[in-house]
Amino acid sequence: MAKHPGLTPPRGSWHGILGAYVVGLAAGGKAERFAFALGDGTVHLATFTDPEAPDRTKVEAHHGGALCIAALTNSDGFVSGGDDGKLVRISPKGEMALLHDARNKWVETVATSSGLIAASVGKTVLLFDEKGQQKAEWGYPSTVSGLTFDPKGKRLIASHYNGATVRFVAAKTDSPRLLEWKGSHLGVAVSPDGGVVVTSMQENALHGWRLVDGQHMRMSGYPSKSRSLSFTRTGKWLATSGAEPIVLWPFTGGGPMGKEPTELDAGNPGAFCTAVASNPAADLVASGFADGAVSVADIDTKRAIRLRASDKDPISALAWSPTGRTLAYGTEGGAVGGFSF
Amino acid sequence: MQATVKPIPVTVLTGYLGAGKTTLLNRILSEDHGHRFAVIVNEFGELGIDNDLVVNADEEVFEMNNGCICCTVRGDLIRIVGSLLKRRGQFDAIIVETTGVANPAPVAQSFLVDEMLRERTTLDAIVTVVDAKHLPLRLEDSAEAEGQLAFADVIVLNKTDLVSEDELTALEARIRTINALAPIHRAQRGNVALSDILDKSAFSLEKTLEKHGDFLDAAAHEHTEHVTSISLSVDAPLIRSKFEAWIGAILAEQGGNLLRTKGILNFQGEDKRFAFQAVHMIADGDHIGPWPEGSAKQSRLVFIGRDLNRPQLRRGFESCTVRA
Repeated sequence: MAKHPGLTPPRGSWHGILGAYVVGLAAGGKAERFAFALGDGTVHLATFTDPEAPDRTKVEAHHGGALCIAALTNSDGFVSGGDDGKLVRISPKGEMALLHDARNKWVETVATSSGLIAASVGKTVLLFDEKGQQKAEWGYPSTVSGLTFDPKGKRLIASHYNGATVRFVAAKTDSPRLLEWKGSHLGVAVSPDGGVVVTSMQENALHGWRLVDGQHMRMSGYPSKSRSLSFTRTGKWLATSGAEPIVLWPFTGGGPMGKEPTELDAGNPGAFCTAVASNPAADLVASGFADGAVSVADIDTKRAIRLRASDKDPISALAWSPTGRTLAYGTEGGAVGGFSF
Repeated sequence: MQATVKPIPVTVLTGYLGAGKTTLLNRILSEDHGHRFAVIVNEFGELGIDNDLVVNADEEVFEMNNGCICCTVRGDLIRIVGSLLKRRGQFDAIIVETTGVANPAPVAQSFLVDEMLRERTTLDAIVTVVDAKHLPLRLEDSAEAEGQLAFADVIVLNKTDLVSEDELTALEARIRTINALAPIHRAQRGNVALSDILDKSAFSLEKTLEKHGDFLDAAAHEHTEHVTSISLSVDAPLIRSKFEAWIGAILAEQGGNLLRTKGILNFQGEDKRFAFQAVHMIADGDHIGPWPEGSAKQSRLVFIGRDLNRPQLRRGFESCTVRA
């Protein structure tokens, strides 16, 4: 594949209106394909073969609202969870298969890796293969708020009250490791080398653990909750939302302990950053803002290109395709779009 | 900068086990009142109504890491309401039913502390349902029952058919010593007028303060281990900076004992009335429109809590006026 062009204006873009809160956004497969999960329960697939006119399919995935979405990793397609208690696999053509029905409970988070699907229902996490075969079920001390696999797909990390739990998914004897820190942890991210776990917290702060020695990391100073976390492809930086600039914590040379974060201005004064997404192929970070602006910035030069103008509709979701050639966004008001580079 | 959307009103339904919460909830959901509710309950199955927007909550209470020991919030509520708000347009009001033994403070504090809830919802009223027959016993054997009354904006005195008129009068007097502000509505099988418990926010504070502002202070009884209410008023305008410093110190020092603090205040140099409220140490306030034509612009402040020192609070409040 050709080298990523780096920071350039998009060669094409598309914008559409889906009409309900964009709750989640995932990208997967070899095609430039995205799935937008909406507050009205629908999931919309868009494949950007033509940057100006993506192929689109609407799927009535959930009766109620969708809550989470992730891309499958061994096959093409997506998996979504909803407040109707359903965990649904969606093919690229929009065909649905029910993987699990939690009935009265919500399927609040889902994560995928190496042919596995993990989904949380309250204090329980269920593990499936992509065919829908259940492989495991684990209980947690309190409701699971975030799920992620380490990059190799060996360990599953869940955030919950008073910390996060790391466990090996294929272990013969289950020996979960509790990473403890008092308070409510709302979401979780893991570094590309699998060595650092970071959670976002109720108190406008992040908390991190270096797994090798259990070293704690506290990252605070945000004026609002930092809900969107994205490690850059090399793991050098953790890009975060929650302030006016994009806040980038350094994870090299012993950081982030004792180091100031780098701030990258890519939005408008007065509008907090609400979503970040690190490019998987270049040192670029995309950002969305509470005023609806979307930008892409080069971390080294700190240069930013504005992709979407402010329209007062907060950006709620942002994702790159696996090639890093397409960036998609969704808003609270139900607007969506994509930029092809 | 966020898109401006009208805040969703939230009604909190609390009350001891068997007081009649579920009966009342079923009535709210089955009657025609023009609202489409999302309902957060602690136990499925008891509800007779088929409603898409009924959510099961787990009452996960945790302490905020903000240096305030009594600041507990309901993490599950913050999460669930946050998700419900993404289903915009499918409902226009929220009801939260708590378990019988729940302390209402974490529920109320969740709506004051969390950014998103604060911005996009408004706590309409805490409605406490009590059982006329068993309330005296409950007040003896459970601190929660007393707390639920103390936190109430509206009290439904249910099952009045099971006791005599004399007992009811005595019961209402007993409730008044705990919470002198909240209107008490008598009911049988939860047959309270829905207009008495829904859509109360607009002027409930003002109305209740006007109506009950001159209640007899129960603190005179010196039952300091029990929850009581005291009401203070001053005629001279308050100096805002002085009041903020004083109330801030009071809440910081006594917040553990102060369950609720409410007031309608006249700040010097400000035309509009200021509505103040706090749950333990967490305070909130906003202007609520001009004083009524020809009114005395009297500032009123009510404390509901344990171990209240009336002379000290009165002197403190008076020291915040321009005449002090």
